[in-house]
Amino acid sequence: MKRTPIVVVATAAGLAGILAFHTSPSSLTIAPAAGTSGVPPAPTPPAQSGPSGTQRPAPGAGSTRTVDGPEVNYSFGVLSVSATVRGHRIVKVGIASLDDGGQFRSQFIDEQSIPMLEQEALQAQSANIQGVSGASYTSAGFRTSLQAALRSLGIS
Amino acid sequence: MGTVVTIDIYTADGSAGPAVSGGLTSARAVLQRADAVFSTWQADSPVSRLRRGEITLADAPAEVGDVLRDCAAARDASGGWFDPWAMPGGLDPTGLVKGWAAQRALAELRAPEVSGALVNAAGDIASFGGLGPGTPFRVGIADPFTPRKLAAIVCLTAAIATSGCYQRGEHLVDPHTGRPAARVASASVTGPDLGLADALATAIAVAGRPGLALLEPLDGYEGLIIAPDDDREWTAGFPFAPQ
Repeated sequence: MKRTPIVVVATAAGLAGILAFHTSPSSLTIAPAAGTSGVPPAPTPPAQSGPSGTQRPAPGAGSTRTVDGPEVNYSFGVLSVSATVRGHRIVKVGIASLDDGGQFRSQFIDEQSIPMLEQEALQAQSANIQGVSGASYTSAGFRTSLQAALRSLGIS
Repeated sequence: MGTVVTIDIYTADGSAGPAVSGGLTSARAVLQRADAVFSTWQADSPVSRLRRGEITLADAPAEVGDVLRDCAAARDASGGWFDPWAMPGGLDPTGLVKGWAAQRALAELRAPEVSGALVNAAGDIASFGGLGPGTPFRVGIADPFTPRKLAAIVCLTAAIATSGCYQRGEHLVDPHTGRPAARVASASVTGPDLGLADALATAIAVAGRPGLALLEPLDGYEGLIIAPDDDREWTAGFPFAPQ
């Protein structure tokens, strides 16, 4: 029996809190935790149970803006992260560019709506596991570029 | 720490009441406090100032003393293969702090309706409970050679930490020589406490295969090494998930 957690919080020191809800194996909502009060918002039910990789856009005022973070070195080459926000809510994080000498590029760019860390993608692909131990190959570079992108968007 | 931490909470009926959201708030506060105190990336954190000799341990927040006591115990348990005092640049408890902080954050999540929870700090995971009674959490171990592949799956009763030279930002230094050294591709340690598991995984990654023997006298700690040639070695009780 596959169980999913009712609430997932991703928090990065120095970044705005990011709150994600696994409402079913195939849909994921990402929204920042409530800012000043520090209290996470109450969980909201999903608008749809979508196909794999679908993200429900978080409600919020403000225009949608996407920024690509700077290119940073990572284990196999150079990448930059794209962050999309609507108002002050992060609605999508993805790989904007990846130069790894060619070997893994197609795998990364094919990914739809990449979650915060590659290990979440591993988790989604693998049968019935609730986590992956061992940091992702790109996590340091990913994080650096994402932080810069979010700063450009006025999020962090 | 600059680490992205993910927290998953499982309840019997899937609801999230005030105890759950209160626990999350407390857990986040624990992590942010730990970052403020221990981050070596922030020039004015107490640990950064301690490293520069600007303050003494007596001036630092109490948790610095707690962590350094745990570091000393881990140094002894690891036969000196984990030694925060022997790092280039001076005292650096980072190899234990991430797990220590995640373990303390996990403690904030306990509530009667919570059947299980995991705090995942960039691949070092502290947990209690499981999906439900008799259903432990299953956790994959990343394949150090192939992105997006798993090398193994374990049944997790508490904590797992993995250390490896393939992780950017992982600076594995041999305390005996002061030079970079990683004699494995990946070392994973499971056990009751993530702070110690974190330190032991780091120690074994530096020491190589002989490092597995360090775990023998430590109740409840098991280890897996993936060698640079993809050969694997593990302790007798390493909790591989049944296939």
